[in-house]
Amino acid sequence: MNTKLSTNLTLLAILVVITAVVSLILPGQFLTARNFASMGRQFPEYGLLSLANMLAMVTGGIDLSVTSVMSISGVASSLILSQYPSLPLPAGLVILLGILAALAVSAACGLINGALIAYVRVPAIIATLGTQGLFLGVSIGVTKGHGIGGFPDAFLFIGNGDLGGIPTQFIIFIAVALLVGLLLTRTRQGFYMLMYGSNPLVSRFSGVNNEAVLMRTYLTTGLLAGAASIIVISGVNSIRPGYGSEYLLISVLIAILGGTDPAGGFGTALGLTLGIFILQALQSGLNFLNFSPFFKKFMWGLLLLAVMVFHHFRRLYSQRRAIRRLAAQREPAANGGSV
Amino acid sequence: MKAAIFKRNEFYLLLVIAAFSFAITLINPAFLTIENMFDLIRSSSGMTILAIGFFVVLLSGGIDISFPAVAIVAQYISVKSILALGIDDIWLAFAIAIAIGIAFGAANAFFISVFRIPTLIVTLGTMNIFHGAMLEFVGTKAIMVGELPNCFKTFGLTDILSLPRADGTQYGLSVFFLIVVGALLATWVILRFTVMGRVIHAMGGNMEAVKRSGYNIARVQFFIYCYVGFLASIMGIIHVSLISYSVPTYIIDSELLHVIAAVILGGASILGGTGSLTGTILGVIMMTILEKNLVMLGLSSFWQQFFVGLIIVLGVSVTHIQKRIRSRT
Repeated sequence: MNTKLSTNLTLLAILVVITAVVSLILPGQFLTARNFASMGRQFPEYGLLSLANMLAMVTGGIDLSVTSVMSISGVASSLILSQYPSLPLPAGLVILLGILAALAVSAACGLINGALIAYVRVPAIIATLGTQGLFLGVSIGVTKGHGIGGFPDAFLFIGNGDLGGIPTQFIIFIAVALLVGLLLTRTRQGFYMLMYGSNPLVSRFSGVNNEAVLMRTYLTTGLLAGAASIIVISGVNSIRPGYGSEYLLISVLIAILGGTDPAGGFGTALGLTLGIFILQALQSGLNFLNFSPFFKKFMWGLLLLAVMVFHHFRRLYSQRRAIRRLAAQREPAANGGSV
Repeated sequence: MKAAIFKRNEFYLLLVIAAFSFAITLINPAFLTIENMFDLIRSSSGMTILAIGFFVVLLSGGIDISFPAVAIVAQYISVKSILALGIDDIWLAFAIAIAIGIAFGAANAFFISVFRIPTLIVTLGTMNIFHGAMLEFVGTKAIMVGELPNCFKTFGLTDILSLPRADGTQYGLSVFFLIVVGALLATWVILRFTVMGRVIHAMGGNMEAVKRSGYNIARVQFFIYCYVGFLASIMGIIHVSLISYSVPTYIIDSELLHVIAAVILGGASILGGTGSLTGTILGVIMMTILEKNLVMLGLSSFWQQFFVGLIIVLGVSVTHIQKRIRSRT
């Protein structure tokens, strides 16, 4: 029970330190409303994808198809949205249809992933690696590799507008993160996901329908990628298949940075959100210091490994402490008897 | 009994390949000629070498997605060094690339064995570290045909066997074939006749059992990931010799998917412990034929990615359904 608090406290401490360091290096540039607004626009796209990967990791899986689901549902949505001048429908209805199309396609993709993992029992890595190619392939095939663009003006509000100075997509992200947090902590499905991730066998013997849990998990990861696609296409007013493929690494990185255990059984929406803030603060700092995108790539890889190494030592430390505590408890009772 | 099942798996793959080749030959009689076969071998040898390495990792129950990055980094640094040193020698090029490949493999193994980080996460990280660091610190400029040292171009055109065409010109079997056969033989001997190879099999079957038997897992992991790095670096040199230019920003992402598809199709399981080299090679042949001939069968090239994905999904589904049926009886 303590791990949840201590993980998030560690993350908060790291965030404070990084914010302080970056603000000191870049006085008057980093800690400005303008920079915060621009950061708030950048991360929701991959933030939603990292929520998806966090949920998959909680069940001990991973979803490598998130960026492809983003492509395919973006294409589905764009096919409707770009037709708005010729459709005899009010703009509001076209936008609603476009959003529904993206969500429907992403839900279908999620169910395909879920069926492969839950019923065919293909390991999540390979199943989603295959569907990554499959979904991206469909979007390339349908669009013939070209981009689709030109959406109703009102639709662009999602990716470019703001409510009271706060970017719309930031509000969407916070709302979705809250929902994901509630899903994990307050619902039966969330509890089953954590239990399945800790030990699938125990979960099955407790009478949990493991297959249904996995289906719902990957349905959710699909829907999150679909939501990301709406923000993406609204932000750039077009879709190009393969856009955002570099987000895959970042989404896995953030999930792990946020304290999610890739072996399953642990992950929090709050930790993930703190992880995103850390990454975004670093990214902003690197941007101001004019580092190339290649250097960032290098940095993200390094950060991923650094976090994992850190987790390794923390795990070692807590194990040792547990053993010591156990030994201390036994000493007086067993009169010096050791295990 | 086990062997019979594996044979069946590969037998079906062989059947599919035969049927597919037959269909293509009906449409295009030029397919089943020695010249076309030599051509296919030349252009697919890089992929074959990667697949052999990837198979070894899968067998041990791990996964390495950093090999395309290793191949491209080893290739670019090797080409750059040859240019800088002015020594136009293919052996030196190989030596430089191999040193880099083995060093990167050792870095992967270090994180995997010392810090117990899942192999997918490690290689996802190192893939970006290697590629990002090279682009940042070595360079991003492509080296085109004109600048490329001659040794690569001559090596790419070296044949070990030449046959005359009808019009008197020559065609031949590329020297790449020798390297593929060498890699295949070496891997076969390692997996079949050495303790190391047995432990690699066992690790994929039951890691805990191997640990309890007292084997030095770290040493085996260093061997596995260095071996993959070694093979990837050789592929890097073959790749540049084949296409005669080196683009450092181009990371062979699609190659990654194709290699994984080939190995999985060959019957290896991501969970480790199963699969065979024969299956891997058949998987590569299947992928190569598909890749090069889908267009010939009337499919638009835009749908190629879709079919590769579909093949992986169907391939793994069949393998896993088979496994479940087997475990039930």
